Amino acid sequence: MLEVAALAVEIQNSEILRNVGFKVAAGELVCLVGRNGAGKTTTLRTVMGYITPRSGTIRLADMDLIGKSTLERARLGIGYSPEASEVFGELTVAENIALPTWTRQTEKSPAERIDLAYRFFPNLRRYEARPGTHLSGGERKMLSIARTLALDADLLLLDEPFEGLSPSIIPGIRNSIHEIVRLGLTVLIAESELQHVPEYADRIYVMERGEIVFGGSLDEARRDTTVRQIIGETL
Amino acid sequence: MTTANPTTVRVDSTRSFVKLAYLAPVIGFIVIAAFPYAAGPHYTILMFSAMGFAIALLGLNLLLGYTGLLSLGHAMFLAIGAYTAAYLTSAKIMTLELILLTSVAVAIVVALPIGLLCIRYVKIYFSMLTLAFSMLLYSFLFKFYLITGGDEGIRIKLPSPLLFDMSNLGTLAALTGPMYYYVFGMLIVLTFLMWRITASTFGLGLRAIRENEQKAQYLGVNVQRYRLIGFVIAAVYGALGGVIVGIPVGLADPSLAYWVQSGNLIFMLLLGGYTSFFGPILGSIVFIFFQDQLMSYTEYWRLTFGVLLAVIVIFFPNGLMGIIDPRRWWST
Repeated sequence: MLEVAALAVEIQNSEILRNVGFKVAAGELVCLVGRNGAGKTTTLRTVMGYITPRSGTIRLADMDLIGKSTLERARLGIGYSPEASEVFGELTVAENIALPTWTRQTEKSPAERIDLAYRFFPNLRRYEARPGTHLSGGERKMLSIARTLALDADLLLLDEPFEGLSPSIIPGIRNSIHEIVRLGLTVLIAESELQHVPEYADRIYVMERGEIVFGGSLDEARRDTTVRQIIGETL
Repeated sequence: MTTANPTTVRVDSTRSFVKLAYLAPVIGFIVIAAFPYAAGPHYTILMFSAMGFAIALLGLNLLLGYTGLLSLGHAMFLAIGAYTAAYLTSAKIMTLELILLTSVAVAIVVALPIGLLCIRYVKIYFSMLTLAFSMLLYSFLFKFYLITGGDEGIRIKLPSPLLFDMSNLGTLAALTGPMYYYVFGMLIVLTFLMWRITASTFGLGLRAIRENEQKAQYLGVNVQRYRLIGFVIAAVYGALGGVIVGIPVGLADPSLAYWVQSGNLIFMLLLGGYTSFFGPILGSIVFIFFQDQLMSYTEYWRLTFGVLLAVIVIFFPNGLMGIIDPRRWWST
């Protein structure tokens, strides 16, 4: 589904990503794990087209994404839920969810896609008429992910979906993501804490200083000495 | 004796205020319709002009209120409408519908290339670019005397709508009679159309862009295309407004494209409230009538207008609609 190879990114003459490569097969849940500043968000933003890489390839279902705009990538079926959620504060929950249903035409009808978004995050139904600014952090995260479902994205990029959330909310969002994966969608999560990586993750990649230093299963990561040294405190 | 629950009282009064908010525009349109009967010809002609400005402002507010783009050169489209009317009536083409359609076509032809360039920029850069194009048009109208009549402009003869026979009517009778109601009908239709546009998915996309174009992009909104369409729609409304504004004056002159005119349009929007759908209509009417009254009382009317603008911006950022819209009373 998504194949990133030898990706290098420079921002203001600083090398942020070096030789980053990973694969996410269709229907998989893959996590990029690393400390703050390791390059996870930069990787997702580069995949989404916000940052032009210096070199490397990004392929979505054998299609080269380099040179394609964020808009084109969204229309190709990449849904993005950024770290800061970034819901439209002045639009209501219903409008936030409705927006992507007409920007990308798919086989599913807008009503089906809206229903899908609410099915995974039923709490949002109660706040349909509420503006985005009136939502809590957890509700914003839910809405942000729900919008990617309304886009009918095939690949979901979720940047720190559990960041800053109350521990009581995290299991709910984790379950929803699990349901999304069971539905057959492909999910790439950027996560700074290994403890937040869902047990059902197919594979994790550990990033450190802009490089992938480990790739394997969650159990293997827990046993790996390099991973322990990097994010040992959260194991 | 029962005591009213404060929550219930508040909900009930909110509902009645909301009903009032929906009723107010209807009452407003009835007042405009009754104007030729209730007010004298002078005020009816003023209302005629105010309706023209209101049409132009509905378009301008699609840019400012819904897309977050402040055009400082929107008056160029007023001038395009007025000059189209002037050229066509000078060429003995007196059918108002034809003039309106031509002004729409000219506005689209002009707005497309200008829009393609301007919408690539936002904030002050967009504002200054639109101002620059407006001043270019102003200079052209001012300097190319043989084509444009220079500072004297070109006369606009009274056109005639297909719907009404105005052959037996004098100019004043036509302007305060059939033409007035024709323009009133135009205002209603164009207001309804704009309401449909802003309530559509396209309007939702514009609001998303206003809030954050990056966010809008990753949800599949084609920011440039939406801005361009918004710009062209605003231009079309501006040109239609320009035709109407030019008719009672009977003249299309370069001052219509001057930056002061664009400033007046922004003033009207702020006065009425650019955060409200009906703000542009209220703003244009209050501005035109207030200006008329103030000019008859003092030669320092511009000074008074300056103070008024400062008061609005500081104390009433949502304009007059922010004061009279009951829903806003609660929010503040």
